Parts: sequence; C-alpha cells; structure tokens
Amino acid sequence: MIRVGLNFGLRLRGGAAARALSMSSGQTGPLGTSTTPASLVNVAAQAEKPPPVILETPILRECPIAIPAHRTPVQAWVESLRHYDDQPVGLADLHPDVFAVMPRVDILHTVAIWQKNFKRISYAKVKTRAEVRGGGKKPWKQKGSGRARHGSIRSPLWRGGGVVHGPRGPTSYYYMLPMKVRVSGLKVALTTKLMQDNLHIVDNLELPTPDSQYLANLAQYRRWGQSVLIVDVNEMPENITRAVAGLKSITLVPGLGLNVHSMLKHETLVLTLDTVAFLEEKLLWHDVRYTALYPFRLPYCDFP
Amino acid sequence: MVGALLRRVAAVRGALWGGRRNQEAEVETEVKNAEPALACPPPRSRRYVPPKNLSHLLKAHVQALVGPALAADWQQTPLRELGLRYHLLAQLAAELGHTVPNSQLHQMRTAQDVLDFYSTPVKDASKFDELCAAKLPPNLKITWEY
Repeated sequence: MIRVGLNFGLRLRGGAAARALSMSSGQTGPLGTSTTPASLVNVAAQAEKPPPVILETPILRECPIAIPAHRTPVQAWVESLRHYDDQPVGLADLHPDVFAVMPRVDILHTVAIWQKNFKRISYAKVKTRAEVRGGGKKPWKQKGSGRARHGSIRSPLWRGGGVVHGPRGPTSYYYMLPMKVRVSGLKVALTTKLMQDNLHIVDNLELPTPDSQYLANLAQYRRWGQSVLIVDVNEMPENITRAVAGLKSITLVPGLGLNVHSMLKHETLVLTLDTVAFLEEKLLWHDVRYTALYPFRLPYCDFP
Repeated sequence: MVGALLRRVAAVRGALWGGRRNQEAEVETEVKNAEPALACPPPRSRRYVPPKNLSHLLKAHVQALVGPALAADWQQTPLRELGLRYHLLAQLAAELGHTVPNSQLHQMRTAQDVLDFYSTPVKDASKFDELCAAKLPPNLKITWEY
C-alpha cells in the first residue's frame, strides 16, 4: 500500500476555497449553512478550518423492505468520494435483519473454510507396489541364501518400492453448505463490518481524477485501513476503474462478487446505495421463501 | 508559463536523449498541474476534548431544528426522523470535528445519548498509531496489530 501523504503545504482556508473545491468536484444540490446562533459558534475553531458545509437536501435513504415491529433500523453515514474530506452527504437506514444480526463467528468460519475448500482438487497421486515398474519376480529363493525372505523388489519395505497409504489420484473436496447458511454468513459478515466501523456507504463511485494516488491518499486520510473492498452493482465509472487498476490494496468488485472471504480479507468495505438495496432485497428473500421444489436456476415467479 | 518553459526544456532534452525521457517529463508536468486542486490535506488527529459549553450548544441546535416548542426536558427529545438526525449530527460533527461512527449511530436515540457521546473525551492514538499515520517512506509498511 502506498503510504505517501502528498503534503505540499497547501491548506484550504476560508469558505470560498472549500466551496470551490466541492463545486469543481461536481457536487449537486444547494449548499446550506448551519443555523446556529453566532454567539455560540466557536470562533477560534472557525479560524483554523473552513466553515462547515451541510447540505440542505441531504440523501436520506429509508429502508424499502418492511422492518419487523420489534426491531429498529441501524444507520450509516452516506459519504462521497469526490473530495478528500469525509463530510457526510446523507444518512441511510439499514435493515436490521441484514446489518444487525447476531454475530455468529462460527458461521463466518464455516463459510470461509467452505469457500476455500469446495473448489479444491488435489492432484497428488503416488504409485502403490502394484503400479511401480518391475517387482513381479521373487528376488532370491525362500530358504538357504541367508538373507531375509522377500517376494518382490517393489514392496513398501524396499527402497524404490510402492507407497502404502499415499494420496490416490485426484481428490475432490467439494461440498455445499445449505443456501441459508451461506446467506447467513453474508449477513453476519456485513454486520461485523458495520459494528466494527469498517463499513462505509457512498452515494456513487464518481472520482474527480483517474489518478490512483488520489484514491490511495483518500483512503489513508479517512483512515480506512490497509485494504479496501469497493462493491457496486451498476456499471462503474471509468475514473474509478482506472484508479483501482493501479492499486493492489483496493479492489473493485460487482455486487454478485461479494463473499465472506473477501470481506474478511479486506479491512474496509465500501458499498454504494444501490448495492445496499440490492443486498437487502436478495438476502432478505431467503427469510420468507418457501423451500425449493426445483433448482433456483429454473424460473420462479418471485425470485429477486 | 513555468509549465510552458518546462515543456520546452523537456522537448529539447527529449530530442537529445530519446523519446522515453520526453514522455516522463511530460507526465511530470501534467501531474504537477493537477496537484494544486487535489492536494491531500494533512492527516488529522483523533483527539477530541469536549468543550465546556457542550450542553448549551446542543440545546441551541435542538431548539433550532425542533422549533420553539421545546419541552423542559429537552434531553429526552426523540431523534426518530432521518432529516432531524442528519442535520443535528452533521452540524455537531462539523463544529466539534468529531463524527459519530457508523457503529454507534443507531444508539443515538435521544438528545441525551448524543450529549453522552460528545461528553466522552477521545485520547489521541498511541505512539505506534501516530507513527503509522505520519509521513512514512513509500516502501516502509508497519503492521502493529500482532
């Protein structure tokens, strides 16, 4: 991970500079000022940093899927990637049955190990005494030669002989966990990321430059961690694909590519609002569906 | 003007030494022209010391957002609507420089919870974290979590 902080001694002072930066980055919506009385505002703090820019029409995302009456939704800030500062652009409601489930570490382990092993085919194979070339003839007569009795020069006792219980042929370690366990693994992973302050929601993935250094600096300034996983459902803008192509620690995946192993491997998870809606719809359907009478790859009328 | 001079010098040098050096100089000038608009601000400290007039500040914000009809126990005002939550918490974050993290947003149910959160001081990170956040050479990476 590139850890260079580009510090050229340029500090943004005054509201004009801050507003110019945010306007040039293409931020839409009217910019409003805070409505506190002037006497209570800390004048000393204002002299050090530019005045706060709070939107009058923030992005407020309500959960479209009904939440059970006994649960309250969890929330997360909606940020923007267009500028370095992590001034929130809005507030998003998240469904508690996806982002606030019981933290089952055993399910996380099960799903992560399954992901690692179910694709594994071990190609190791060694020859037994029957497959090693030679060894059909008795080396010397049974009695009278003074040596130990042997029947073949390729028995496991001999040097160059066959292996008794070695690996036999390509072995598949394929197994499938129940679909609901895998779905629950995703929910637990998302909950863990949110509750450990490693989840960030972004309105969209628009960057002002295709520069990788900008994205690396942004991740470092916002203290996102060593590795970032960015998930989007729509077509990704060109700037971010070019920026991420030059970085090894930031990964960009489509919505269907989200998995428990990647979430555990990367320190921070960044979702867009569309991705959150997509995940909630797909993951919550499994709580209310009937059991599958035929495989899901065949058409269902209510499959999300 | 400086950029034009640099480009001319680079063109001359490129003509002398070959095409590759010319491209490198051009890339340098392009990067330098883009830098002033997107300069990375210096890393900020995570230290937070609650101000002395915190209660008054919070009450003023709540009054401005809820309206003049504020009950005597203003600390029990529920923060149900998303708009109210956003404006209150965003204003406080911008003024005090300390944002409520995502994991604790759902715990802010009344103004009292917000007051408790902003009353707890946050100590600056340990020396190791400071070192991690400071400007390090690009080929040095420290993993302190072991």
